[in-house]
Formats: sequence, C-alpha cells, structure tokens
Amino acid sequence: MTKVTMTVNGKTVSGEVEGRTLLSTFLREGLGLTGTHVGCDTSQCGACVVHVDGKAVKSCTTFAADVAGAQVKTIEGMNNPDGSLSVVQQAFQDHHGLQCGFCTPGMVMSSAALLAENPKPTEAEVRHYLEGNICRCTGYHNIVKAVLAASGQDVSSVAAE
Amino acid sequence: MPKDYGIGASSKRREDVRFLSGRGVYTDDVALHGQTYAVFVRSNVAHGRIRKIDTAAAAGMPGVLAIFTGEDFKDVGGNPAGWLINSRDGTPMREPKRPVLAHGKVRHVGDAYAAVIAETYQQAKDAAQQLADDSDIEELPAIVDMRKAVADASNRVHDEIPDNICFDWGWIEDNRAAVDAAFKSAPHITTLELVNNRLVPNAMEPRASIGEYNPGTGDYKLTTTSQNPHLTRLLVAAFVLGIPENKLTVVAPDVGGGFGSKIYHYGEEALVLAAAKKLGRPVRWTAERTESFLTDAHGRDHVTKIELASTKDGEILAIRTETLANVGAYLSNFSTATPTFLHGTLMAGPYKVPHVYVNVKTVFTNTAPVDAYRGAGRPEATFSIERIVDKMCRELNLDPFEVRRKNLIQPDQFPYTTPVGLVYDTGNYQATLDKLIELADVAGFDKRAAASKAKGKLRGMGLSTWIEACGIAPSNLVGVLGSRVGLYDAATVRVNATGNISVMTGAHSHGQGHETVFAQIVAEKLGIPESSVEIVHGDTSKIPFGMGSYGSRSLAVCGSAMNRAVDKIIAKGKKIAAHMLEAAEGDITFADGKFSVAGPTRPRPSGKSPSAPMSRITTRWRRWSRGWRRRPSTIPPTSPIPPGPISARSRWTPKPARSTSPPSPAQTISAM
Repeated sequence: MTKVTMTVNGKTVSGEVEGRTLLSTFLREGLGLTGTHVGCDTSQCGACVVHVDGKAVKSCTTFAADVAGAQVKTIEGMNNPDGSLSVVQQAFQDHHGLQCGFCTPGMVMSSAALLAENPKPTEAEVRHYLEGNICRCTGYHNIVKAVLAASGQDVSSVAAE
Repeated sequence: MPKDYGIGASSKRREDVRFLSGRGVYTDDVALHGQTYAVFVRSNVAHGRIRKIDTAAAAGMPGVLAIFTGEDFKDVGGNPAGWLINSRDGTPMREPKRPVLAHGKVRHVGDAYAAVIAETYQQAKDAAQQLADDSDIEELPAIVDMRKAVADASNRVHDEIPDNICFDWGWIEDNRAAVDAAFKSAPHITTLELVNNRLVPNAMEPRASIGEYNPGTGDYKLTTTSQNPHLTRLLVAAFVLGIPENKLTVVAPDVGGGFGSKIYHYGEEALVLAAAKKLGRPVRWTAERTESFLTDAHGRDHVTKIELASTKDGEILAIRTETLANVGAYLSNFSTATPTFLHGTLMAGPYKVPHVYVNVKTVFTNTAPVDAYRGAGRPEATFSIERIVDKMCRELNLDPFEVRRKNLIQPDQFPYTTPVGLVYDTGNYQATLDKLIELADVAGFDKRAAASKAKGKLRGMGLSTWIEACGIAPSNLVGVLGSRVGLYDAATVRVNATGNISVMTGAHSHGQGHETVFAQIVAEKLGIPESSVEIVHGDTSKIPFGMGSYGSRSLAVCGSAMNRAVDKIIAKGKKIAAHMLEAAEGDITFADGKFSVAGPTRPRPSGKSPSAPMSRITTRWRRWSRGWRRRPSTIPPTSPIPPGPISARSRWTPKPARSTSPPSPAQTISAM
C-alpha cells in the first residue's frame, strides 16, 4: 500500500492505495464520489471520464498512484459555487441530452474538456471528440446539440431535429 | 401556443439535476458498513458436465468468507417462467429448473456454477480464479444451431427434454386448414427465409445487487438493478428462496437503462440474499461488462420461413410462418410470452389480410437465455411481414406504396378484428401514409437519387408500415392466455398535511422521466404546481404492488391508475367541501384547484367565501396565525370520510377493445 495525495475538486485528499488501485475505485470507494461511473472496465464507454490537470481521462484505466499530486476534477465539482448547474450541465438539461443518466457524468466531463481546448467546435468536431463516450439511451443528437449550445452556437441545424 | 404547465408541457426533467451533478444513486453507489463482495465463477464452455468443484484451496485464501456452489441451492426453488404456453397438441411447455447456481451441468458460456464471498473485491476475484482452476468440467458438444438442436435428439441441453423443444405453438390452430386452403388456391405465393438476429441489450449500467439480512428481525433487503422491484420480490420470495414476502424489501434505486434485460429476476439476486443471511453482513455484486454480455437476457434470435399468398395485383390473401425461436439454456421470466403472444398476435400487421397462421417452436440451446428486448416479439413480426411485402412487390413489379395503401385497413373498418386475435379500435392508416409520402418528399426521391449518383454515391429508400401493441394488458386476458401474473398497475396519491402531494407508483423509471411526467398528470388534474408533486417509485416498502415498467406500459397502465386515484381524491374532497362550504355534495364543483359551490355566486349561510382551495379541503388544516394547525371538529362524526389528510389508491388494468362481432374463444385478446 502506498499513500497518495492529490487535489480533487479543489480539496487536498490522501489515501492508501495498492499499485493496482484504479483512479475510479479511489474516487468512488475511497472518497465516496460515486458520480463517476464504471460501465465497461475496458475504456470503451467513457462513463468514468474525469479531468486530470485539465485533461479528460478515463479513470477506470488510470492508476490512482499515477495521478499523485495532480489536480483532479469530477462531476461533483462541475456545479457552480452556488450549487446551480454550470453552462455545460444546464445545456444538457435544456436540450434533453440525457435519459437514464448513467453515461451523463462522463459526457459532461468530456464535453467540458472539449470546450476548454476548442471553445467553438463544429458539429463534426463534437461528434469526433465524444466518440469515446457511449450513450445507450441513444441520445447522441441531443448531446451534440447540448455541447454546441454550451459553446454559444446555434443548434438548429443539428441532425434529427 | 405550447403549454407551459401540466400534461403536454415541455417541462425540463427534474431528475436531470441530480444526474448532471453526479448525485444520482445507482445500486453500485450504495456503500454499507461491513459490506462484503461476491464474485461468480462462470463456465467458459457452452455445455459441460460438472465433475468436481474443489473449494478447499479457494476457501483458505486471504479474506475469503464463504463459497457457494449449486449443491447449496439444490433444495430451493428455480427461477420460473412467468407465462405458461401449451403446444398445438395441448401439452404444456417443458420447464426445466433454472437454479440459482448451475448444478450437474453448465449450459451456456457464463453460466455461474459457484460464488466466492470475500472481504474485498480483489480477494473474491483472486479466490474465484483459484476455484475455476480447481473445478473439473467435462466439455460436451455445444448445441447452438436451432435446426440441429431440433433434428438431433441425442444431444440435449436438458437431459430430460428429448428434442430440445420447449413447445410447438400454433396461432390460431383452428385457422390452420383455412390458411392452407387459401395458399392452395392463391394466384401468387412469395416465400422468404430470414433471421431476426440475436441482440445483447447492454444497458450502460451493469447489473448489480446488494443483499442485506438483519438477524435481529429476520428482514431481508435487496437493492438491485430492476425495472420491476415488486415482481423481483415475488419471484425471490415465493418461488426461489422461500422467504416470506413481507420479510423482503426490494429497492431498485436509480437504474441506468434496462431495455428489457432488467425486467427479469437473475440468480445473482438470490445468491447475495442467501449469502447475506449466512454471513450476517451485506453482500454486494456488480457485473463486469463481460458478465453483462454473457448473462443479461439476450433479445430476438428467430429463424423464420414466411410465406405470403396474394393476387397478381398485390392484394394479400394469406400469411403463414414457421419460426424457430431460441430461448437459450433456461427459460427467462417472459421468454415464453415473447415469441408467442407478443409476436403471433401482430402477424397481420396493419393489413386486412383474411388468413394468418403462425407456428413457433421454441428451442433450448447452449446460449444465454433470450427474453423480451425493446419491442419484444413485435419488431420480429414487423420485420418478417414488411420484408415479404416488399419481396412480393418486387416479384410482381408493383409499387410498394400502392400495395400498402391497397392492403391497409380502411378507416370505416374499425374496430377491426384481425385473424390473429387482436381488435384494433381506431385508425386512419391511409391518412398516415399520405402524410408520410408528403413529409419524406417521395416525389422528389428520383431527383435526389440522381444527384447522389452524380457524386458517385448510392441513395435508397425504405418503406415500412406497421402496428405495435403496447401496455401488456388487460390482466384478465393475459391470465386466460397463460400469464401467471396479472398485468395491472397501481398508484397511491397522498395529500400531505401542508397540501402538497406524494404519489407512490408501481411503475419504475430507468431513464423514462417518470418523476417529471407523472407529476404533470397530478398537477394538471389538481390545479397545483408540478413542484408540489413528488413521485415515489422503486421501493417495495413504500409503493403499492405494481408490475413495473416495460412494454410501453408506464403511462398507459400506471398513468391511468394515477389518474383514477386523483379522481378519488377529488371525489373525497367534494364530500368534505360540501360540509365546509355548507352546501349539498352534488352542488360542489372542482376546477383550477378550487372546490366551489355550483351556480351563481351565492352567500353561504355563514356569510363566508363560497369556495376553498384544494389544499384546505383535502388536508382539513387551515393556516392559523401560529402556523398550520388541525382544524378541530370540522367534520361531523357521521362523515364517511375519516379525519386527517386524505389519500386514495387505485388499480388499473386496460379494458378490452370492443369488437363489432362476438369474439370466438380464440379471438379474445384485445389491443394489448
């Protein structure tokens, strides 16, 4: 067991982990941050996406020990300080970009990472960036609309309107 | 103008806020003091005889608390099929036992034959690997192809079932001769063999279950990924483990998609409960994605020969099918209803076809169990019919739009009784087809195709017209047809002391947005804000006995129950309002959230206002200067309504559609 320390959603946290402990396990079981979901164990589905030093990573295939000292942000850290939904989250609700909610944390985290590096993505860029996030309720069109809306762009031309 | 409130308004979903904030609570999010972890040991062969499971080494590994094998469950019940189907010759279907853990034989890849419980997940996983290494399973030839399964009686999925057939079903058997005769005299016959391929449902949230047992009270609790917690409770309690139903609570919290696969009870749920009792500690299990692929009930898997008899100008005279439907290694709970009453009854489609006969043989194979998945039997019917209608059009060089227009039931023919037992109550399919042709700009297709071709691309156009039965009801008819449970539903509407509303429903939301839309029904009817209505679902200790959500039944069945429960609230409120407003009950009206005395405004004998808001009447509280207080002696002791805030419960099962002619015994299903 090794002690790791990192910053999660602005707070410094520490915990004992094995070398094989996954970041998703550390967040969910060690810190009780269960908003990060594990859907596939194999990096396919993207429900586990969090930010590590601002970059979107799949926490189910990242070792907790490897991110010691890093700034980690999870879905629980996405709301505005007053608790209201942030721009990206609000856009998902406004455009009905979720149904069962299980893929949603990963979708929001990936979308926020995209908009941080590309504030005005095209529809094709949004679809390409989100190819590692699977929604089984098949709400992709509305998810794409939500991301474009969050970037301040018109969404009327998105397919399947 | 779009509505901004109540039924039909485009309200933002209230559940989104918690899902978007990472505050949803799915089964695997529940952490319990003293919890332990279950890992299942699963067959890596499709068919095998269990020679030996040596648990000694695994049992001695670090953290291991208990090991279970099929031997531990040989004396408890099996997971039953929920629907009894009889074969054409009247014999009942074959129902092999589906045990909690495989015993004697493993029958599909992923079939669990042991489980390890340990202090940590990794310890359980390590010991499960050891147990797999120490198990001796003799591999037998796998039975995968349905045609071979039926043809070769020497190799059997279940040793006691000689031809691997569960049942051989004819729908409607009495019509078979007439259908055959129609084919004999038909000017044209189209034949098609097709496969409705097997599907893996793959909800994003893997199945997960947590068992708890309180030795002090004897109470069990199962937290699980279910579309219908009451049905799971019934199956676990009454059929599998023999737990008194009142000592088991089943909670299905937020559920990350179901698509049918979470309707059914699975052995893992029984295992975690039995293990929790043995250890006196919570036992949890969450599927890995591989386990989802191998063990969630799969969908479809039909091999069909369909024939269509027609005139030379495309008038459909008869349809006949022979289908092999795969049920996999064991009967899942609705597996026998899906390829029969959810399939054969749709085989006339939206067409006025006079003769239809459907034959379905369900076949056991060494594959994962197959059950209802998205549409369940009905898309398989539509795919078969629409494929052969198109093939007939090509063979006879006819326009597929005009052939459909000609064969669609005419608006003046409703209610229409099909030859496969359904009554369609209303419809105007021609108008729908006209609208489709307009919206799709069918007239402009040739131009679009030419433009595509100029760019080196191909453009096609497909057409499908179909009807799908939803709701899976009424209870009395599904009972006649073999269902072992009624398919009604229930809702309780409770007015809280401060006038807002709690609604307990038998429906379960796993992505549908019930918490938003059910609140719209209640809010609209009572004239109160949606935010004053809370929807409670998924916990058998809180909700009335209902059958859950699948088959597009939530609004049609549960929503109707809710609607009627609110009507009861209003009716009770009128009795109280009559007293409080000093008027006859028959003179009380309810509109816009207020009970009023009908007719021109007239002063009450006491001189007080002739109306009162819903909350005052239904709670019989009033706001006094120091806050909410019970209104004393408002209601005389002779009142039929007992004191206190009112509540009402209603059950609902849809009524059969009305037929124009008396139904024959074989034609008693209404629009399900």
